[in-house]
Amino acid sequence: MDESTRRTEEEALDRPISRRRLFKYILLGVSAAVTAGGVLTPIIAYLWPPKQAAAAGGGRVAVGAAADLPVGKGQVYSVNNKPVIVIHTADGYHALSAVCTHLGCIVTWAEQRAVIACPCHAAFFTTNGDVISGPAPAPLQVYRVQVEGDQIYVEGG
Amino acid sequence: MAAHTRPKWGTRVGDWLDERFDVRIPLEAFLKKPVPKHAIRWYFCLGGITFAVFLIQGVTGILLSLYYRPTPEQAYESILFIMNNVRFGWLIRSIHHWSASLMIATCIAHMLRVFITGAYKKPRELNWVAGVFLLLLTLAFGFTGYLLPWDQRALWGSTVGSEILGVIPLIGKALLGLLRAGADVTGLTLTRFYGLHMLVLPVLAFLFLAVHFVIIRRQGISGPL
Repeated sequence: MDESTRRTEEEALDRPISRRRLFKYILLGVSAAVTAGGVLTPIIAYLWPPKQAAAAGGGRVAVGAAADLPVGKGQVYSVNNKPVIVIHTADGYHALSAVCTHLGCIVTWAEQRAVIACPCHAAFFTTNGDVISGPAPAPLQVYRVQVEGDQIYVEGG
Repeated sequence: MAAHTRPKWGTRVGDWLDERFDVRIPLEAFLKKPVPKHAIRWYFCLGGITFAVFLIQGVTGILLSLYYRPTPEQAYESILFIMNNVRFGWLIRSIHHWSASLMIATCIAHMLRVFITGAYKKPRELNWVAGVFLLLLTLAFGFTGYLLPWDQRALWGSTVGSEILGVIPLIGKALLGLLRAGADVTGLTLTRFYGLHMLVLPVLAFLFLAVHFVIIRRQGISGPL
């Protein structure tokens, strides 16, 4: 029985689709879906951002040795995958989000002027995160920072 | 069931395109060309299998390029990263690794079939020549890719392999220097092989494949033995 005869018969029986045809479609559809899934799943998983060595999630993180950050210096660390700037001044350690509140550039410590500076559009912040000048609409978020032994710890993130 | 049913969805899309591009007849002639009966054998599929493996190499190669870093400091590190940290990185790299060898094997098997059935004879001599270039390109892919992991085996494999070029009389030493970008296999060789592997060889391979395929469709497959 060829394709056209079968189709006419189906129409004559007033059945939209024969059992055989339905079974064929299901079999082909499932095979195609399983094959596509088997190929695409590893590829999408491969493209997904891979796990990094640093653990993600909240909590306190040791960012570096206190000896590497003498008075007057500032340094950007990665805390739970977020950039945090730690500054060591005469009155102690300060930790702030290093993401500028203007357009998200990573701020740096301008050592000579003793301010936090954004390299993109010249926003300036105090060590407390307050805006001195420039286009930044809000202060930088402050993190808690502790020094225990030789290690600097930053909390939160 | 109504007497006047709408044509199938696929047919309607085809009609829409054909109305605009007038492409149905030439496309059907191209796609519905029957395979001669004597050629419906598994060993007539070896060329197609080689091309399929080539496409797999293209896909997995592009995926690997998203994580691989072609510098002496970072190449090996990035391979370890792909194998250990990237999800299914081990799978993608292993497929690329094994398919590289497989492609050379299927390429040679395809050539053996063409040779044994005498398909290289007139009027198909030039397609044999194009095929030989494709074999050489496949080997060049393998040779340049071998260096990229930048481990001991890669370094010495490439050193020994490229040394062969140096024994050509008169111009051997110059060619060797040109290939290695210096007297030894260094970071310069790595970036050179990377550029060849990623850009030069794929462009050449696609060119020769196009020639190979156009000729086979123009001349048809060779007759039965």
